[in-house]
Amino acid sequence: MSHTPDARTPELAAVVPFPGDAQRQVEVEPAARETELLLRVRDARDRNAYADLFGRFASKVKGYLQRTGLNAEDAENILQDIMIAVWNKARLFDPARASARTWIYSLARNRLIDIKRAEQREYAALERYVGETAGDAVYEEDLLARAMGQNSVALLDQIPQEQARVLLMAYVEGKSHREIARELNLPIGTVKSRARLGFQRIRGILETAK
Amino acid sequence: MTVTRHPDTAWLMDYANGTLSRNFELVLAAHLMACPHCARELQAAERLGAELMMQGAGAAARLAPATVLAAESGTSCAWINDRPSSALEGGAVDLPSVVSKYLDCGIGALPWRRAGRGLEVARLRVTDEDRLWLVKAAPGTVLPKHSHSGSELTLVLKGAFFSGDTIYAAGDIEDADETVDHQPVVTRDGECLCLAVTDGPLRFRNWLPRLAQGYIGI
Repeated sequence: MSHTPDARTPELAAVVPFPGDAQRQVEVEPAARETELLLRVRDARDRNAYADLFGRFASKVKGYLQRTGLNAEDAENILQDIMIAVWNKARLFDPARASARTWIYSLARNRLIDIKRAEQREYAALERYVGETAGDAVYEEDLLARAMGQNSVALLDQIPQEQARVLLMAYVEGKSHREIARELNLPIGTVKSRARLGFQRIRGILETAK
Repeated sequence: MTVTRHPDTAWLMDYANGTLSRNFELVLAAHLMACPHCARELQAAERLGAELMMQGAGAAARLAPATVLAAESGTSCAWINDRPSSALEGGAVDLPSVVSKYLDCGIGALPWRRAGRGLEVARLRVTDEDRLWLVKAAPGTVLPKHSHSGSELTLVLKGAFFSGDTIYAAGDIEDADETVDHQPVVTRDGECLCLAVTDGPLRFRNWLPRLAQGYIGI
C-alpha cells in the first residue's frame, strides 16, 4: 500500500501556512491602513483621520523615544513636535517612497539626530547599557526586554540572537557598527556581517509580507 | 553612471540611524544620490526601524490629538474684543480674567502647547510686528536662559518669578530687551501665568529650546 499522505506532503506544505504567516498578515494590514489615513490627512486635511493616526502612533513613538534614553518629560515634548509635524508636513508624504509608519518613524529619528547633534556630545541615552554588554559569550535574555520594553518582538524572534543583538544596539541604543564592535570586543567584519545577515533576513520577511 | 560597488549594509544602517560622523555621512549621502540600489537599502533600513518602533512597547502619551489640531488650525478661541472697557479700570481685578475678556473662551481652553519642562505657551495673536503669548509655568520651573533680538514685556497675571535678583509678582512687568540676558525662575509656591509680548525672536542659550523654537514659533 502506498503512503498516500506522504505523497501529498509537498502539496500540503505549500498550502498549510507557515506558523508565522497569519501573524505577518495581521502586522501588514494596519500598515496599509495607516498609509490610507495619512493620505487622507495629506489630501483632505481630514481631522478624524489624523485623530485615528494619532491613536495608532502616539504611544508607540513615545515608547521609542524613551527607549533611546529620553526621560518621560522630554519624550512627551518631542512627541508633541513629531505629532505636530505629522499634521503640518503631511504634504511631503509620498506613499511610493515609504509607508506611513516608516515616514513617521523617520520624523522621530530625524528629531533625535537633530537633538543629538545640537547637544554636541555623546547622547546620554545609551550609556546605561555600557558595561552591561561587554563580552559576546551570552546574549542576555533581558536585553531584549530592556531595549524593547517587552520580552518578545516578533521580528527579532525570527533571526539568531547574535544578529538581533547587533540590530538592537544599532536601532535602539543608537550605536554605529564600529561602536558595537568595540563594545562587544568583536572584529568590525563580524559585526558588519551580523548586521547584514539579520537585516537581510528581516527585510525578506517584510517584503514577503507586503 | 552605473554604480557597481557598494558600501556594506552596516554603513547604510548607521546612516539610517544617524550614528555616523558628518564626514562619513557626507560620503555616503553622495553615493546614495548616484546609487538607486543603496537608496533602496536605506529605505529598507528605515522600514526596519519603523517596524521595531511599532513592535516595541508603547508609553502612554499625555498629548491629545485635539490639542495639536486646535493649535495648528489657528486657535479654537476667537479674539472678540480689542478694548473691553473693564480691562482698563484700575484697582483690584483678577488679572487672568482681564485676558479672558478678549477671548471667547477661558484661558484653560486655549491651545496650550508644551514648550519645555514645566512650561506651556499659548499663542494669542501674531502680527507682522509682534507676538502676544500666554506663558504658564509650574512652581519652581527654571525657564531657558535667553536674550532678545527685540523687546519683551512680560506681565505677571498670577504667581511670581525671579529674574536675576528681582522678584516679579502679579501686576508687575518685566521689561527686557537685547541688553538683557535672563533666566526667569518661577517661585515654588504656585503656578505662574504671564502675558508676554515680543517683537523679535528670543535667542536661547541652549540647544533644546532652540530646537523647539522652530516648532512652537516663539
